[in-house]
Amino acid sequence: MKLLEMNHIKKEFDGLGVIHDISLSVDEGEILSIIGPSGSGKSTLLRCATMLEQIDGGEILYMGERAAYVDADGTRVYPKGEQAKKIHSYFGLVFQNFNLFPHYSVMKNITDAPIRIQKRGKEEVYREARELLAKMGLSDKENAYPCQLSGGQCQRVAIARALALNPKILFFDEPTSALDPELTGEVLKVIRSLAELNITMVIVTHEMSFARDISDRVIFMDKGVVALEGKPDEVFDADHARIREFLGKIQER
Amino acid sequence: MKKKLVCVLLGSAMAVSVFGGTACMAEEAKTFTVGFDAEYPPYGYMDENGEYTGFDLELAQAVCELQGWELVKTPIDWDSKDMELNSGAIDCIWNGFTMNGREDEYTWSVPYVDNSQVIVVSEASGIADLAGLSGKIVGVQAGSAALELLSEGGDQAELAATFGTLQQFPDYNNAFVELQAGSIDAIAMDIGVAQYQLKQHEGYVILDEELNSEQYAIGFKLGNEELCNTVNESLQTLVENGTFGELAEKYELTDMVCLGAEAESETEAATEAVTE
Amino acid sequence: MKLSVMLEQLSTGMLKSMSIFFLTLIFSLPLGLLISFGRMSKNKILRTIMKVYISIMRGTPLMLQLLVVYFGPYYLFGMQIGGTYRFTAIILGFSLNYAAYFAEIYRSGIESMPVGQYEAARVLGYGKMQCFFCIIFPQVVKRILPSITNEVITLVKDTSLSFSLAYAEMFTIAKQIAAAQTTFVPFVVAAIFYYVFNLVVAVAMERIEKKLSYYH
Repeated sequence: MKLLEMNHIKKEFDGLGVIHDISLSVDEGEILSIIGPSGSGKSTLLRCATMLEQIDGGEILYMGERAAYVDADGTRVYPKGEQAKKIHSYFGLVFQNFNLFPHYSVMKNITDAPIRIQKRGKEEVYREARELLAKMGLSDKENAYPCQLSGGQCQRVAIARALALNPKILFFDEPTSALDPELTGEVLKVIRSLAELNITMVIVTHEMSFARDISDRVIFMDKGVVALEGKPDEVFDADHARIREFLGKIQER
Repeated sequence: MKKKLVCVLLGSAMAVSVFGGTACMAEEAKTFTVGFDAEYPPYGYMDENGEYTGFDLELAQAVCELQGWELVKTPIDWDSKDMELNSGAIDCIWNGFTMNGREDEYTWSVPYVDNSQVIVVSEASGIADLAGLSGKIVGVQAGSAALELLSEGGDQAELAATFGTLQQFPDYNNAFVELQAGSIDAIAMDIGVAQYQLKQHEGYVILDEELNSEQYAIGFKLGNEELCNTVNESLQTLVENGTFGELAEKYELTDMVCLGAEAESETEAATEAVTE
Repeated sequence: MKLSVMLEQLSTGMLKSMSIFFLTLIFSLPLGLLISFGRMSKNKILRTIMKVYISIMRGTPLMLQLLVVYFGPYYLFGMQIGGTYRFTAIILGFSLNYAAYFAEIYRSGIESMPVGQYEAARVLGYGKMQCFFCIIFPQVVKRILPSITNEVITLVKDTSLSFSLAYAEMFTIAKQIAAAQTTFVPFVVAAIFYYVFNLVVAVAMERIEKKLSYYH
């Protein structure tokens, strides 16, 4: 079953096209990586999928339900009220710079939304949160505040926070880009462990070997279009000028 | 911490509602609201016990007792007296209120005190007459009769032109502190107030030359003849039953009051003395 | 006048000064928030109105505003103003003025919040109100607390401006006693009162700041 479908998505900023007619879909349990040079529209695509940006063309479907679309005369249609809540509950997003709530403890960061938004039982939520923290290797940090944690620990809390809402699909927007190199490993390890649990993920990343290793499918985006799509090996080893140039540049670093 | 704060807030809110409550109950009787300058002894001021009192306020109290009214003493900022009266916040201005020069602006009661505007200087200053004020700094209360007299169009405007500066003060107490401190040389004020101040401070004199003589009356909102007449009648009654005289004696104003037979003859004598 | 009587008189004034202080805070802090919302609104008319309002309130003396609020109803509408309106006018005048200052402080705090906080809340499913009151506002409070403390301390001293409406608060009474008794003592007492009151306010605000310093 297709969890997410994006059809003919268009997005422009101030009349400048950033995404031109992109279509993609994600199956249940699939891990999709999106790679590409800066400014190719990867993050924007993710922000469209999570409705942080409004699309200028095309349609987005979650679980086969039409979540957002632009109709024939160019009017954007976005869900409202209960419908919007339902759509939002399908996905979670992990930000590049974590965006943890600094005034909440680690525990509250994770449990506040399930309790306040999903109205779930406090005890159940706390139990699940403790399990998640254990999985993240942060059991001893539940009463700490984000400012007391390292970047890698913060990102792991952010992942736990997203997972606590039990999303069908989890988006990662360059989850290690804001981290010191020695801290990226611990975050990647956590994401890897999620892969083993068959959680559906869409990951925008610059970590090429990680993407190649973990993904079921890779999309190479360039200048607002999907330039290449396929199994990791197919994409990374493709005889395609743009991706060779891109991978070459990355290796130089 | 938060709880404490909430307690304090609630407490103050309750205190306010209690104050508000008592004020509402007081309005059930017919009230007579007198606006006065609480910094204007001996006509209106705060006494030893912290009560507002003075010659004018006691007189107002006596009128209220005759009429069965409840007296509300409302201290006002003297600069805002017209706004207070016109807006209905007070029923009258009763506080050593000079009628001369303002005859058309208010509905006036019968005049009850003969007043004069005088100059107070320190004995040490060597200033002996009005001519000696040339080039000096003279203080005066804002919005007062003395200021009107000394301002352009007033009877003593020419004299004021010889002053170095005419300095306005919100109240006479401030002005007197400045006189003591030597930052001003003289104060123009009502003789009654001047005498009160002189009793408190040694070493100051009133110049023999007066700026003018004038009369105090109660000022009502223009056209409020009805209330004015009622108060006039009551004043007459108080003069006849001797209350007026007693109060004048109490505040050492017997020389100045101009209601009642006894007082009138004294005033005439005083006027003759000035003419001579 | 005995010192005890003077102190008694002054302490009734203190109570009135304090009720002006607390009531002004109770009304102006929430009102300021509403005004700051208007000031940041997408509606251009509302935004402009609030901008003009803040500009007038900050650009004219508080004493003048008090006079306008108190005498305005008579001069504008010919209404007769009664005895209890004096206090109402003072609270109204102070609240309207301080709300304008608070609105700008709120705005500075709200606009300084990183957009990521809003986005994170949105993705987690917080509604607009939930996002503001659970996520944004608590952080804003911490950011603006020093500025708020400044205004609150100014308010303590500004209560004395009520003397322009001859309301018998601390300073008005001190002036009256000083006039009748030709003494400087009430002013000394008044100065001590304002200083101690402000000291308490400053200590209280410092405590709150400390309480919020568990994160940054």
